[in-house]
Amino acid sequence: MSTSSTSATQALPPTLLTDLHISYIQKLGENKDDLTYHLTSHLRLNAIYWGFTACCIMGHPEALNREEMIAFVMSCWDDEAGGFGAHPDHDAHLLSTTSAIQILVMQDALDRLDIDRVVKFILSLQQPSGVFAGDAFGEIDTRFLYCAVNSLSLLGRLDELDKEKTVRYIERCRNYDGGFGSSVGAESHAAQVFVCVAALAILDRLDVVDINTLKFWLCERQLPNGGLNGRPEKLEDVCYSFWVLSALSILNGVPWIDGKKLEAFILSAQDPEGGGIADRPGDMVDVFHTHFGIAGLSILGYPGLVDLDPVYCMPAKIIEARGLRKGWKALERRQA
Amino acid sequence: MSNVLLNRMKSARHVSGKKQQDWSQDAFTLTTRLLQVNPEFYTIWNYRRNILTKGIFHNSSPEAINHILTDELAMTMSALKSHPKVYWIWNHRRWCLENIPNGPGKQQEADFVGWKQIAWSKELFVVEKMLDSDARNFQAWDYRRYVLAGMPTPRPESAELVYTSRKIEANFSNFSAWHQRSKTLTSLWEHGKLDEAKSREQEFELLRNAMYTDPNDQSVWIYHRWLVGTDGSAELLEREIAAIQELLDEQPDSKWCVESIIRYKHLLLKKSSSADVKALSEECRGLLGRLQEIDPLRRRRYQDLELEL
Ligand SMILES: [Zn+2]
Repeated sequence: MSTSSTSATQALPPTLLTDLHISYIQKLGENKDDLTYHLTSHLRLNAIYWGFTACCIMGHPEALNREEMIAFVMSCWDDEAGGFGAHPDHDAHLLSTTSAIQILVMQDALDRLDIDRVVKFILSLQQPSGVFAGDAFGEIDTRFLYCAVNSLSLLGRLDELDKEKTVRYIERCRNYDGGFGSSVGAESHAAQVFVCVAALAILDRLDVVDINTLKFWLCERQLPNGGLNGRPEKLEDVCYSFWVLSALSILNGVPWIDGKKLEAFILSAQDPEGGGIADRPGDMVDVFHTHFGIAGLSILGYPGLVDLDPVYCMPAKIIEARGLRKGWKALERRQA
Repeated sequence: MSNVLLNRMKSARHVSGKKQQDWSQDAFTLTTRLLQVNPEFYTIWNYRRNILTKGIFHNSSPEAINHILTDELAMTMSALKSHPKVYWIWNHRRWCLENIPNGPGKQQEADFVGWKQIAWSKELFVVEKMLDSDARNFQAWDYRRYVLAGMPTPRPESAELVYTSRKIEANFSNFSAWHQRSKTLTSLWEHGKLDEAKSREQEFELLRNAMYTDPNDQSVWIYHRWLVGTDGSAELLEREIAAIQELLDEQPDSKWCVESIIRYKHLLLKKSSSADVKALSEECRGLLGRLQEIDPLRRRRYQDLELEL
């Protein structure tokens, strides 16, 4: 590469390739005969939530067909269990049930849902310790606890939850580094920090967080290349942009990292030809990292994006309209 | 080839338990094939467990059930080797372990939990093998804690000190091992199974080595922060500050040295007389300025801490 072309690339800061990302997301569901489509069916409903939220944050909720989406969500209903599976004919699971509820809320289509039954399903998964299982077979994880709290709150049924018991479990997952793990005794991990802090925010119990220690731990996730990792001495990954930033914004600590450098890192992980964002520059893109990269950019105040509520990971306006907005703080939206 | 797989995946949608109540050996074999193609297919794992509990186990002796579950553990082992991060495989193994029957001995006999003991011990071996190849796999660490907690004859907790020091010595930046060590020590101290004062000193010794090996490794400093705690004596704080200062003199750009000195001086501040407070605050201020230069990513944090002084 000649010196002049190097300086030319440097002169042009990378920008978000909105149109390409929209068309990448639109194409995802198209080829149903593709083997990959079937190999990822266990994540289909989650993938729709990721893709749709990303479109909403980019200001294009209409990019995906509303009626088709709602019909697909409803076809994932597992009538035996009273929850949603990840795909038609898959068993109900809390992860896919939460995605279904989030999609229905974003599409203003909760009237299609048997709310009483789904609330019963969610509450049935709480364990004596206060944590939630993902399904009837009982795998427990603070991720599932967050799914339950998030869903019940969106459905306006948080009062039916034993909040004390729930909070007590989160408290037992807190480590001396300020972070939280997947279960009692587990190592702090940025994704688990997000789910625990966001659940506490929804339950108005941020007093459980050792705020200064956690903010310190979170800002130490930033590496010299601007990207964020999920645990000490690990590699950076675009999805941590959201896990770390959302927790920081709930604790009013986003300025404690270098937003400009993180923004450049996320943008450098875009695929400039086919659209989409990868976990790090040069890797294969996927809808998960596309969504969390764009979510991170929204919190960083990237111009032209729609505000994201970091607690629910949904468009802020929708959460505000339901009266659920908590006291988080993102960076101010910049003008293009 | 991929067409064959594709058809299997499509047909799999119609084998899930509630669509047809087929608890036969044939259905069981089909789930094996499907899971070999896609171990993420959680509905098929559910179906497989239902076939076992609702079908196959009904006509099986405890001995036969133990045999089947041992085979299950072997089958998932090969899946785990190619997909070490698939949650559903780990879950299935948990379920198998929890369903190993009592035996072969009768109640009150020594080998009443003999089958369980064999399965759980083997599981510990398996998960430690996984940690040998990826020492930071947090699912494996979580799973290992689960296995340790579920062993029919628990291992003494002190064995964890041996295990974690082996892991730490292999790689000082293995924070997963430091984390586990902090939990183990806390528990041993709380239960009076270890002389706390003496063992704390040994930990400081271990840390001293680690710090000098790589002063930029945050695992070590986070553990140090835990060990010092929030209510250490002034004497301890001063000793640690002096030790870190020595390292800082050798490595003047070590951010973690500066960060730690600030933290411990800050703790010292709370214990000091008013004359010292002024001097300590000034020192902290100077060091925070230094941090802004050597660690610009987090400049705002250092500025905020400066304001708080
Ligand atoms: Zn990732």
